[in-house]
Amino acid sequence: MPAPPSAEPAASPFIQIRGLHKSFDSQKVLQGIDLDISRGETLVLVGPSGEGKSVLLKHIIGLLQPDAGSIQFDGTSLCGLSERQLAPLRRRIGYLFQNAALFDSLTVAQNVAFPLIEAGIKNPAEIKSRVQEALEVVELDAHTEKMPINLSGGMRKRVGIARAIVGRPEIILYDEPTAGLDPIVTDVIDHLIKRLQKRYHVTSVVITHDIASVFKIADRIVMLKNGIVYFNGSPDQLRHSPDTFIQDFIAGRSGMTS
Amino acid sequence: MDDSSRGLISTLGRAVLNFINYFGQLGILLGEGFESLVKTKPRLHLMMEQIVRIGFGSQVVVIVTGAFTGAVFTAQSYFKFRDFGIESTVGSIVSVSLFRELGPVLTGLMVAGRVGAAMAAEIGTMKVSEQIDALRAMGVHPVDYLAMPRFFAMTISMPLLIAEAVAFGLGASWFVAVLGFGIPSAWFWMHTIDHTNLEDLSYAMIKGLVFGMLIVVISCHQGLSTTNGAVGVGQSTTRAVVFSSLALLVTNFFLTLLLNYIFPMGTIT
Repeated sequence: MPAPPSAEPAASPFIQIRGLHKSFDSQKVLQGIDLDISRGETLVLVGPSGEGKSVLLKHIIGLLQPDAGSIQFDGTSLCGLSERQLAPLRRRIGYLFQNAALFDSLTVAQNVAFPLIEAGIKNPAEIKSRVQEALEVVELDAHTEKMPINLSGGMRKRVGIARAIVGRPEIILYDEPTAGLDPIVTDVIDHLIKRLQKRYHVTSVVITHDIASVFKIADRIVMLKNGIVYFNGSPDQLRHSPDTFIQDFIAGRSGMTS
Repeated sequence: MDDSSRGLISTLGRAVLNFINYFGQLGILLGEGFESLVKTKPRLHLMMEQIVRIGFGSQVVVIVTGAFTGAVFTAQSYFKFRDFGIESTVGSIVSVSLFRELGPVLTGLMVAGRVGAAMAAEIGTMKVSEQIDALRAMGVHPVDYLAMPRFFAMTISMPLLIAEAVAFGLGASWFVAVLGFGIPSAWFWMHTIDHTNLEDLSYAMIKGLVFGMLIVVISCHQGLSTTNGAVGVGQSTTRAVVFSSLALLVTNFFLTLLLNYIFPMGTIT
C-alpha cells in the first residue's frame, strides 16, 4: 500500500535522535536518548512500563517537544517547528495511538478516510476503495458504518491501524498495536507489519510488551530503562544477552514467589 | 515582614501571574485563529454542522428566554407606568431594553450555558482521549478543525438568535400589554416604533457578535487546555460557562459605554 521505496537508500539515518531529554514537572522521563532509525527497518521498542517509550514515539512525530536534544526526520530538525510547519512532515507518518484515539463523532469508514481527505484526495471512489482496502487488511471491512462507541477495544485498535496505514506513510509508529487483541488477530497484525515492510519498504517503530511479537517482527530491538537506551541490538543479541534484567524481562520473571 | 503578609503577597502574586498567563493563552489562541483565517480555507461543512448545533439547536432556549423576559418586563413596567397614566408607552421601554440590553445579555448567558459548556466538554473529551493529538498527528491543526468552524458558526448564529429573542420578547410584550392589560394595540405599536430606531438594532447586533466571539474563544480555550481526564473535562466545562458569563457581563458594560458614544441615546431619527 505505501509508496514504493526510493532506489538509493539515504546515507544518513531516516530518523536521528541525539541527547533527547524530557521531563514532566519533576519527573525525568527521557534522560539522554541517542537513537538512529534506518529507512525500511522494523525497530521494536521494549522496556518496563512508564520508561518513556510512548513519550519517545510522540517526539518522533513532533507531538512533544524535547527539553534538550535533537530529532532529525529525513534530514529536517523537528525541534522548534510550529504545528503548521510540522503538518507536511506528519503526513508522511502513520501513528497508531495506544487507545486508538478514534474520532467519536465519525463512523469507522469516516475515521479511516480522514487522513485521505485531509491529504487533499477528493475522488470519492478512490477514497472508498482505499478505505475498503485498509479495512480488509485488518479484517473489519464489514463494519464500515459502525460508530467507535459500538466497537470492542480490539476492533478500535484495528480501525486505528487501518487509519495509520491508509495514507501510505513512509514510517508507521505503532504504540502497542496488539495490546488487548486475541492471539489470532495479534498474528494478523504482526504479519501486516512485516508485509508492509517487505512489500513497500515501510519503516516501522513498534512499542510492544508482547515478547512473541517482538521476536516475530523486529529487525532491531531497543530497550529503554531509566530514561536511556539500555539495549540496542538484534533479536538474537537480545535473546542471548547475559544481562539478568534483560533475561528476566524476556522471561517475564518478577522475582516474586506466591 | 511576617509570614502571613508574605503568604498574602505570594497568593496575590500568583493570582496576578495566573491572570496574565490566562490572557496570554487566549491571545495565542486568537493569534492561531487569525493565522488559520489567513492561511487556510474555511471548512464549510463543519461550519454548517456547528450552525445547526449552535444556532438551530439553541432556538427553543432563546425563544423562551426572550418571550418570558419581554412578558415579565411588560408586566412590571405596566404596574409602575399605570401610576403615572403612561401605561400605553410600555412597548417603548420594553423594546429599547430588549434591543440594547436584555436581548443580547440574556441570550448570551443562555448560549454560554448551553453552547459554551457543550464546546468545552466536547473538545475537552477529545483532548483527554488523545483525539486532538490524533488530529495533530495527521497534520491537522486543532484550531482549523475545531475552533474556527465554531467561531464562524457562533458569529453568524448569535446576532440571529438575539434578533429572534427580541422578536419573541416584543411579541410576548404585545400579548401581555394588549390582550392582558387592555392597552390598545395601535398605541402599543406607535410608542414601540417611535422609540426604537436603527441604533438600537445596531446595539443588539454588535453585542451579539462580540458576545459570540467571547463565548467561543473562552470555551474552545478551556476545551483545548483540558487535562486530568473526566475530572478535568468537568472543570473545563464549568470554567467555560463561568468565565464566558463573567466576561460577557463585564464586556457588556464597557461595550455599552462605547456604543453609547457611537450611537448616543436620545437622538431619535
